[in-house]
Amino acid sequence: MAKVAPQDFDIDKVRAEYVGKLGQRSDGLYPVEHDPIRRHEHMCYGTNPLFLDPQYGSESQYGQTIAPGVMADYFAGDGTWPSWNGGHEIPSRGDPALDVPAIGDRAINLSTTWEFLRPIKVGDRLWSQPSVADVFVKPIRLDPNAIWIVNETRFYNQDDELVAISRNTGLRHREPGEVEASPDPLGLQEK
Amino acid sequence: MAVKLDPLPQTYFEDIEVGDKLPGFSYDLTWTEMVKQVSGSQDFYAVHHDPPFAQSGGHSGIFYNTGWTRANLYRLLADFAGPDGWVRKLHFEMRRMNMADDTIVVSGEVVGKEQTEDGNVVEIELSIENDREGMATRATGSVLLPSRG
Repeated sequence: MAKVAPQDFDIDKVRAEYVGKLGQRSDGLYPVEHDPIRRHEHMCYGTNPLFLDPQYGSESQYGQTIAPGVMADYFAGDGTWPSWNGGHEIPSRGDPALDVPAIGDRAINLSTTWEFLRPIKVGDRLWSQPSVADVFVKPIRLDPNAIWIVNETRFYNQDDELVAISRNTGLRHREPGEVEASPDPLGLQEK
Repeated sequence: MAVKLDPLPQTYFEDIEVGDKLPGFSYDLTWTEMVKQVSGSQDFYAVHHDPPFAQSGGHSGIFYNTGWTRANLYRLLADFAGPDGWVRKLHFEMRRMNMADDTIVVSGEVVGKEQTEDGNVVEIELSIENDREGMATRATGSVLLPSRG
């Protein structure tokens, strides 16, 4: 995550550079597979046979096992590969060209909207097209100068059919010590 | 052993009324669940599994991630949609955190139904509540259901 000093951060310039910007196409490392779906359902006690029972899936309207629509991003990316040597700095998984600069490097997701347009079937090869939809500054309890970022990603299958769209709103904030030392370096309280 | 699960019951558009409750579910967020959320989501951001790291960011502890949140909400919608239905939309807002030792309740209620060009649309309000803070996640979903005819 790109962290810059407050004096180098200009929200108007950041918006001009990033809002509407398209990132590079991301292709899934592997096809849609059974076992990640099983782990996903294990996480939430899911027992939906459309996702878990190949025989049931083959007799369903889909003709085979399908994945929960919310797994589109999982199957359209590299996952947690390559590995990294521990620590808290996870290598950026997204397009670095869409790494919006902020004055903090702590991240929280806030809301997501999904549209599901076509089934994702085991064996499909997914790819995605990310973009930045919005960037703005808005205070939160942890940081009066939190930077909010809205990303939109479109997911396609191997036939270039649009299967899902997600729009995620997250924010980047500073650590408490940074906020205490300089609560409002962007001068929002003066505006 | 081959996977063999109970078949999904099918809910039909004509049988749904505004105010109907979806069959929700509840479970305790033990440390095993904390591990499962990382396994199932493959989200290794340390704020979701490393208490000192989470606390250094101003949080009281680690909290459950977005992938886990959406998985629970989607599960409720997909089970309701049945084998011939379709989850069309899901929107959720994570207003409070779900944390270790919480007990969560995932629930939903039908708030609208309409026949559109898209199909038989059923609108649903969903939530994830916990026993520590109450409402943690508010959500809305749209499901397409088949007709009996």
